[in-house]
This record gives sequence, C-alpha cells and structure tokens, in this order.
Amino acid sequence: MAGGDVAEHKSHTKGKKRKKGRRLGIRIDMTPLVDVAFLLLTFFMFTTSMSRPQTMEINLPPDKEVKVEVAESNLMTLRVTDKGDIFWSMGIESPKRIEHKDLLSFLRERVASNPKLIVVLKIDRAGKYDMMVNLIDELNVAQITRFSLAPMLDKDKELVANVKA
Amino acid sequence: MTPLVDVAFLLLTFFMLTTQFKPTEEVTIELPSSHSEFKLPESDVMTVNIAKDGRIFLGLDSQLLRRRLFGKENELKASVQVKQDELANYLIQARTANPKLRTVIKGDKEAEYGVAEDVMNILQKVQITRFNLVTDLSRSATQ
Repeated sequence: MAGGDVAEHKSHTKGKKRKKGRRLGIRIDMTPLVDVAFLLLTFFMFTTSMSRPQTMEINLPPDKEVKVEVAESNLMTLRVTDKGDIFWSMGIESPKRIEHKDLLSFLRERVASNPKLIVVLKIDRAGKYDMMVNLIDELNVAQITRFSLAPMLDKDKELVANVKA
Repeated sequence: MTPLVDVAFLLLTFFMLTTQFKPTEEVTIELPSSHSEFKLPESDVMTVNIAKDGRIFLGLDSQLLRRRLFGKENELKASVQVKQDELANYLIQARTANPKLRTVIKGDKEAEYGVAEDVMNILQKVQITRFNLVTDLSRSATQ
C-alpha cells in the first residue's frame, strides 16, 4: 500500500504540497537488532581489561660504586635459601631462622625500636621470584623504604647451612 | 523492548569506547601479589617479561618501536624473546628511540630469582635505575 501511495504522489504536479499520509502502525521486529547488540556487548565485556595491574616501584642506586657506611647495629641481613627459608641477622651475628608468617610483625617491631634500620636482602639464585616480591612487599608494608639487594654468596650459604645443622 | 535496547546500546557504546584490548601475550605469566597500589602507566611502557622457565621476553607497547627494534616480522607480537646478553643492547636502543619509556619487570611467580637478579643488574648497567615490578593486588588484609 505504501508503494501505491508513492506512485500516486509522483503523478501529481511538482510543488503541490504532499498530503500528510495516515500514520500506519508499523512494527519493526527488533529481535535481531537486540541479538547483535548483545553479542557485541558480550564481546566487548570479555575482551576489555578494566583494571591495570599494580606495580611496585624500585629505585636502584646509580651504577657508580658508592659505598655507604652503615653502622653495624643498624644493618639487618635477611638471607633466603633456595627452599624459601628465611634467616635474619643483625650486623655480623650468626643468622637466626624466622617463619615467613612472623616476618612482618618482626620487621615492624624492629623498625619501631630502630628507625634507622637498613635491610639487606640476600636471596639464593635458585629461590623464587615470588619470594623476592613478597619480601620487598613486606618491607614496604613495614615502611622500611631503604633496603638493598645483594647477591647470596657461598659464604652466606655456608653460614645458613651451619645454623641449620 | 525499547528500554532494554536502550540500555543494551548504552552499555555497548560504553564498552566500545572504554575498551582496551587485553594485550596478547607470548607467554602466560602468573603474577606475584603485593600491597602496592601504584598503577601501571598507560603508555610508553617497556616490559621485561620473565617466564617460568627463565626465558626473557622484551615487550614494547608501540608498534613503531617494535618494528624498529625487532624488524617488520615481529612488529605485531606484543613481546619478543631476547637472550640475556642481548637485552642490554635492546634496552639502550629502545631508550634512545623513546627516552620517555618506563621500564617494568613482569616476572612469573615461579621464575627463579637468579634470572631476575641478572635482569636487574643489566638494568643498572644501562642506567635504568628506576623501574617497576608488576604485581597483582593481594587480597589478604595485612595492611
């Protein structure tokens, strides 16, 4: 019927005002449209990555061999074996073992009694990366912002092995 | 029906505009968790990926830079495997091409610490003294 209307209209002379057609009850089937919309919606919902990952910032000293003199009483060494056992020692004392779950409260306690505390982390090369991140995280939580990472030497391994034995 | 379609399209446009496609990864890396709340910067990021088996992948977020560094055949890869002794060279090249690059280390939980130590030594050698470690937000409430 719409086609008929158009044909009729064309036959009229130009310039004549178009007669307002009777409004027809048009129903468009929207289901396919909604289907596509939801399909795209789900696609974008699944592919989007909302949260950017967290990062920990680390500042290394410049490469120059700067020697920092630290009083022995302020220096705590944390040695971590390849198995993930943690040993702590102040200065040149012999290392003592500590459980991972007690470490945080221990660090808090230590830093409260000595705010100038500096921690040296010595992690075995065969240890886990996770361990390092956890330890650094715990130092951050305990608000020990000055720490250094040092390689675990054979001497350190011996020290730890002696304690274990 | 119409309100439903309205809402659907609203959400659709929202997701289309805000979406940032998950970067395709050459290796899956399981992140360690931490309490740090720094967010990863959005652009100008150079990622040093350390896979579980100790392989190192260098990733750059700009395609242009990837083409310059790794050649045309690798420009669509998010990260390219590099050998440890080549890493320093690549890092220097990337830094000279774009001095604003921020370096990020993304290590697998299970990766050996030794590799991470080597990577950090290399970073220090090429004067990248400031970098970030990518972690997941830890769920435990030790804070």
